[in-house]
Amino acid sequence: MTGLGGTGRLADDLWLLAHNERTGKPHLQPRATGLGLAGALLAELMLSHSIRLSRGMVMAADGIPPRDEVARSVLRLVISEPEHLVGDWLLFLARTAPGDVAGRLERAGYLTRIPRSRFSRGERWVPVDADCAFAPLVRVKSVLRKSGPASAQDAALGGLAAACGLGHQLALYLPSNAIRRVEEAARHLDPGLRELIAHTQTAVDRALLSHRVSHPV
Amino acid sequence: MSRTQMAGSKTSSVSRALARDRLGVPAVLFFVLSGVAPLTVAAGVIPTAYQTTGLTGIPAAFAVIAVILAIFAIGYVAMTRHIKNAGAFYAFVARGIGRPVGVAAALVALLSYNFLQVGLYGAFGPTAASEAAAHLHVHTQWWEWALGAWAVITVLGLLRVEITGRVLGVLLTAEILVILAETAAGLAHPAGGHLSFATLSPVALTSAGFGTFGVLAVVAVLGFVGFEQAPVLAEEARDAWRTIPVATYVALGMIAVVYAGASWAMAAHNGDSRVVDAAGQQGPGLLFGLGGSGTLSQAAQLLFLTSLFAAALAFHNCCWRYAYALGRESVLPSRLGRTGGNNIPKAASLVQSVTGLAVIAVYALAGWDPLTRLFFWLGTTGGFGILALLALTAIAVIAFFAHDPRGETPWRRLIAPALAAILLTGIVVLAAAHYATLLGVPAGATAAWALPASYAAAAMIGLAWGLVLKIRRPQTYAAIGLGAHAVTGQLTPATGTTPS
Repeated sequence: MTGLGGTGRLADDLWLLAHNERTGKPHLQPRATGLGLAGALLAELMLSHSIRLSRGMVMAADGIPPRDEVARSVLRLVISEPEHLVGDWLLFLARTAPGDVAGRLERAGYLTRIPRSRFSRGERWVPVDADCAFAPLVRVKSVLRKSGPASAQDAALGGLAAACGLGHQLALYLPSNAIRRVEEAARHLDPGLRELIAHTQTAVDRALLSHRVSHPV
Repeated sequence: MSRTQMAGSKTSSVSRALARDRLGVPAVLFFVLSGVAPLTVAAGVIPTAYQTTGLTGIPAAFAVIAVILAIFAIGYVAMTRHIKNAGAFYAFVARGIGRPVGVAAALVALLSYNFLQVGLYGAFGPTAASEAAAHLHVHTQWWEWALGAWAVITVLGLLRVEITGRVLGVLLTAEILVILAETAAGLAHPAGGHLSFATLSPVALTSAGFGTFGVLAVVAVLGFVGFEQAPVLAEEARDAWRTIPVATYVALGMIAVVYAGASWAMAAHNGDSRVVDAAGQQGPGLLFGLGGSGTLSQAAQLLFLTSLFAAALAFHNCCWRYAYALGRESVLPSRLGRTGGNNIPKAASLVQSVTGLAVIAVYALAGWDPLTRLFFWLGTTGGFGILALLALTAIAVIAFFAHDPRGETPWRRLIAPALAAILLTGIVVLAAAHYATLLGVPAGATAAWALPASYAAAAMIGLAWGLVLKIRRPQTYAAIGLGAHAVTGQLTPATGTTPS
């Protein structure tokens, strides 16, 4: 069942944040979207304690394995190839993360797939319900509440959104200086998640500075 | 099954999947050459240099500078393998010599690329105006065309459109072919029926005294600007030990042959003693006239316009990237390091556009000649700044490896960089002392000291600001030179391309 509460999965929320709630058009460059969602997929596994991050390396941990197929396949890869740096994982997962997460949202009933037309390259996904697609922004906003600490998942969502360049988009709907407070909330996350957000930010910046706007396929 | 899983099981290795996305020598070489804009130099810089400096040793200068830059590149590409944010001079300087000097280098680099960028409007404006007058019978001022180009570049900058891939490939190939064709035609019809090699001889470098070499070297370095960009792609290169060096050396060789050939053909075709006068009369026509006034000449003139435009856009992008990276490090106001919708660095791009507008306006209002005073003066001053940075970077390479050789041979980490540092520093000193000759003005003219002095001012401000950061904002200070790695630089040990 779809609802304003969403799927409860971080990457799903970030996908919806990164696309227009009615048309499904992306707010970011393809490479930034991919890297942000790659960070979100890893963050999901960190929140469920399935993996942990230490000094740039991703390692399997003994949390409860996720039931979701996309998350499970990421976890399987991490377990089978433990030698990679988090920056490489981000680049690797960024190649497929947008499609994987969109497929997951489609199966959950939040998106409809529009097949490729003569004028567009590749598939496109459009939100089924604009209110549901807009709801993740409300979850980021909850981070700004003064009463009580923000949930780790919402704080990580805000941090990753800012890291992949959605700050401008959030600023359209949130009070002024909200971005700084969202980033501040992310600084109170545990060290692993903080490091993941920093690496995501670096990967997005590198893509911006190295002239390669979209992913070379 | 998810695509991630499919990709994983098919390749069985994350590394292999990532390796497929990495860039080989042709891609890096192509990227470097596209920033060099060959026709802008061959038709714009070389004739104006003949005219303004009155010196004929330009062909020899291209050949000699190519060798000096190749020696420089040995240490430069070696250090690229060991640092992050390679490709930005200030990153080398910050790591090698120290962060305050790094900030000084950053401001000098930003100023240099700015001179190079705004200078191009001074060539595009008059060329477009004369083309429009000749073919469309539209008579307009140079600055109207310059403003037109400025407006398009501003919009493309804000939309983050870059001329890449096929369009640039076709333009670049056409430019090089046209230059080679004009060169061959010019050499086939030498003045007086006898082909002179005098301008290619090293003797020509010091024809009007030893200081001449400094002047010619700045012109030659200006032609090579862009070759230093290969390490920008170091982190995306297929093989950090091979791809970047090979692309850099091949680019240097290709540029040297094309430019030395074209400038030699101009002198040979018009006569060594007449080429300076001919350059004064014909301007860019000095190149276009080598093969007569037929289709080749027409095509060359049109390509010259697209080359100037592409170069102006490329340097615009280069400038905002520098400003953006410095904004991310909080060395410059962090607003410059923020992006708007679609990851577009609006502030950094707009700052560059405003600078361009201001310069065009000043030149238009003052009625200064765009081709010599805007294009050549600011262009060569940009080249002079790059020359100074090359010298400083060579010193930084020696300092960087002084504590830890990191497996590099003495030739790469000490001997070649020391040779480059001595030669480049000597050239900088000679050029600064003969700056009036470079600009073609009487000794003591304001421009002859004010333009090079602008770098001294930028360096002083940078140095002071670096020291302020050290005391007031230690966190910002620690991240100087890290560029995109500013956020993670302090989290983890070196995790970049450093081989273990």
